[in-house]
Amino acid sequence: MDYILDFQNVDRNSLSSVGGKNASLGEMIKAGIRVPPGFAVTTDSYLRFISEAGLKDKIYGLLSGLNPENTSQLLEASEEIQSMMGRQEFPGEIRKAISDHYRRLCDWFAARIMPVAVRSSATAEDLPTASFAGQQDTYLWIQGEEEVAGKVKKCWSSLFNPRAVSYRIKNRFPHEKVLISVGVQKMVNAKAAGVMFTINPTDGDPSKAVIEASWGLGETVVSGSVNPDKFVVDKVILEIGERRISEKHIACLFDEEKGEVVNCEVDPEIRGKCCLEDREVKMLVQMGNEIERHYGRPMDIEWAIDKGLPFPHNIFIVQARPETVWSQKKKEPLLGKKSGYELLMERAMKRIRIP
Amino acid sequence: MADEKAGRFPDPHEFKVPKELEGWEEMYPSHYLFSRDRMDWEKRQFWYQDKIHAPEPMPPLDLIFQEAWQIALSQYTTRVFCIPPAQGIAQRMVGCYMYICAVEPPPPEVIGEKAEQFQKRVFYVFEHYDELWDKWLVKFKALGNEMAQLKIPGEMPKFAPDDQVFPAPKGYYVSYDVVEAFDKLVNMMFKGWQYHFEMLNLTYLAYLMFADVARKLFPGISESAIGKMVAGAYVSMFRPEEELCRLARLAVSLRGVKDVLSGTQSVSEKLSALDTTPDGRQWIEEYKKAREPWFYVSCGSGWLHHEGSWLTQPEIPFNYIKDYIGRLGRGEKIERSLDEIDKQREKIISSYRELIKSDDDRASFENAYKTVRTIYRYAEDHLFWVEHWFHTIWFGKIRDFGRLMVKRGMINAVDDIFMFNRYEIPEMLTELATGWALGVNIPLRSDYYKAKAEKRKKILNAARNWTQPPALGVPPEEVAEPFTIMLWGITTDKVKEWLKGADASAAGEAGEIKGFASSAGSAEGPARVLKLLKDIVDLKAGEVLVCPSTNPSWAPVFTKIKAAVTDIGGLTSHAAIVCREYGVPSVTGTGIATSVIKTGDIIRVDGDTGVVTIVKRM
Repeated sequence: MDYILDFQNVDRNSLSSVGGKNASLGEMIKAGIRVPPGFAVTTDSYLRFISEAGLKDKIYGLLSGLNPENTSQLLEASEEIQSMMGRQEFPGEIRKAISDHYRRLCDWFAARIMPVAVRSSATAEDLPTASFAGQQDTYLWIQGEEEVAGKVKKCWSSLFNPRAVSYRIKNRFPHEKVLISVGVQKMVNAKAAGVMFTINPTDGDPSKAVIEASWGLGETVVSGSVNPDKFVVDKVILEIGERRISEKHIACLFDEEKGEVVNCEVDPEIRGKCCLEDREVKMLVQMGNEIERHYGRPMDIEWAIDKGLPFPHNIFIVQARPETVWSQKKKEPLLGKKSGYELLMERAMKRIRIP
Repeated sequence: MADEKAGRFPDPHEFKVPKELEGWEEMYPSHYLFSRDRMDWEKRQFWYQDKIHAPEPMPPLDLIFQEAWQIALSQYTTRVFCIPPAQGIAQRMVGCYMYICAVEPPPPEVIGEKAEQFQKRVFYVFEHYDELWDKWLVKFKALGNEMAQLKIPGEMPKFAPDDQVFPAPKGYYVSYDVVEAFDKLVNMMFKGWQYHFEMLNLTYLAYLMFADVARKLFPGISESAIGKMVAGAYVSMFRPEEELCRLARLAVSLRGVKDVLSGTQSVSEKLSALDTTPDGRQWIEEYKKAREPWFYVSCGSGWLHHEGSWLTQPEIPFNYIKDYIGRLGRGEKIERSLDEIDKQREKIISSYRELIKSDDDRASFENAYKTVRTIYRYAEDHLFWVEHWFHTIWFGKIRDFGRLMVKRGMINAVDDIFMFNRYEIPEMLTELATGWALGVNIPLRSDYYKAKAEKRKKILNAARNWTQPPALGVPPEEVAEPFTIMLWGITTDKVKEWLKGADASAAGEAGEIKGFASSAGSAEGPARVLKLLKDIVDLKAGEVLVCPSTNPSWAPVFTKIKAAVTDIGGLTSHAAIVCREYGVPSVTGTGIATSVIKTGDIIRVDGDTGVVTIVKRM
């Protein structure tokens, strides 16, 4: 039983112990994709945690027979569970393992304390058939072992936030079946970041990648709080066919004084400037192609570009999951099987309408 | 411009050209003018300016190529291979510029009849393409050689020579020869153009078919991506350049040759210097071999007499050779690798194929691709033989007639013959023959012809400064004619843009020009505006070429320039294909680049979006 696994030691077969997000990070490392290093606090850690002092029974007891339409009842139960979990101490071995791994990560980069992202990674999340994404907590720019351990516990308890609980009840997904792991990953000191689809989500064109990007960390793009720069790129010839540059008024950055990430105003000088270089756009698409090839399906990818490193070592993939909208559509052939002559005849009979 | 706002362009029958162009009509055959007899029909068609084949005011004799293609292109669509709903392309002249239209579709019963013919005839061509191409090349070369061997009388002798009298009188003499030779020349030109379109309509149709298939599977695919999948290696069209590479390598391997060729003397000085050494003579031998036929490449598109060819302007190939020698000296590679090009295309096509999820769709894609690849090399290979080799032979023969007319005092300069159309020249030759036959001291109407040539040159000059409307008449509801869509890029957007009346000066002030994004990538650098093709020698490495249209015969410059911008040409124009092949970013079909951009301006060319930005004025 492993309480903690390094990303390079997990893959898609580890889904039940590290959850979808962490498994896919390990999978990408295997495929040779540049992913910021880190480790997963496994579902075994979580299970061990809730097994202590009868916590598990108390939780499921509170959840049984809950009516998700009854908001006050739902909120009350959720709050009760989360505060119980907050009060409960870590089992000693797990607490030590988290500290050891965090320190090892710091040592690797020769840093005393290293900022990391602490992200939930649920076992039922990111299945191609259902989207649990975004229901559990993520904490950015966390520094120090005490802080990291605290956020791990927060992630665990976010499995019982009202949204997650009601989603599971409504979709008849048993609470016990969804377990949670937590990823602790080196923060990318992002110049710019965002998302990329390896299919055009607007028309399902499989030959296009669509990138949305903005200044700072990718959270502004993911949450939709800025109008990002948008690039539509041909995946084969890497031609940037569409390029929409927006006024990106805020950026998610680490604030030294507050000690946390905040959305700050972007200098008016650079708001309307394109936040990616062409070569970065093209490199991202090439990485997207590799990821898609590795998974055998169109992907939805989060990425970030580091401020300090030189191109192309500055481009990191921080997350990848299967694209859900177009992959769920039934695959009717678009043309059907036709001979060259049939196609030629069709074309010969065709007229093009003008205005 | 009020008309344009109402969703139509000026009525061709009410349209007036500027006063300075007065008299332009007499330069062209009368069936090329909008006329009362055909008014109803003409009003129903949509006429747009053909900037590809007639980007400048049309010299009267150069109209022969247009006359020839109007017939040849159209008949293959309407009478030979029968593309069901399509008809031909009609031409009209307005103020020295050519307007064309894709004729409205035929009635439904004709479409049905044509569909039957189409099935019977077209599929046969695809099945037998390779042998048909071999036959085509044999007969086309025979025709070109026949034209090359045609004897144009160099003078009108005082007396018919003895050998035309003994042992028996020949029966016809130079008075007949001049007229016959010109007639033959004209007939051969028309025949050559009939050959030209033999498989071209089907090639374009196949391309459009493949583009349709690609767009269904990949809705957002760009024209340049389709072009990259289909385009081949331009085998014949690149031969002239390959010959230059070969001559450059040979020069480097021989003693003393490269120093002569790298010098600054004129071509004839270089040749006489080389002629003094055995190694030099060996090089000259190879040079002469390369010239036939590969230096018959036009310096332009091949459509206009004043463009010249590598034969008439040998300083152009000699400068290229000099440049190549320099690059060899620096250890650079000068040849392009055909294998590499093929491999790259294979990789691109298989990458797209992998993206197709359904097996049936993949099979259709494969079938469509095989079909277009079977025939597509025709679009590339016919070009050298017709527009370059054949036209260059023609221009040479016409100039022989010009020299004869200069000798007889009918015109001032050899090239003035191009100021008369192909119906007028037989009249001039007949007058010349009559004068010779009548005896000595017979006056010819020299002043009449000389004045006419001068007047026409003035009109053509005035026409050059006139901004013509891009189109005349009412935009059509639909187009079925393959060339219209593919070559001229007549699409909804294009017509809309014209209707807006894109104003050259306004665009220039904004510092941004739009065109087709025809070769991906972006680059910034100083502009070199080349309005006249002979100025190509001024072009320096690292500049951005700005010209009316690029051409494969300029191939050697594409390795020197950072980017290319043209006034004319769509995404599948010959120019766009070459730029893509060399990986040079380009924006084509801007309409106005050469008038808005000045040499020395710093410009940025974005071949992904089709935007050219003037970053800094010189």
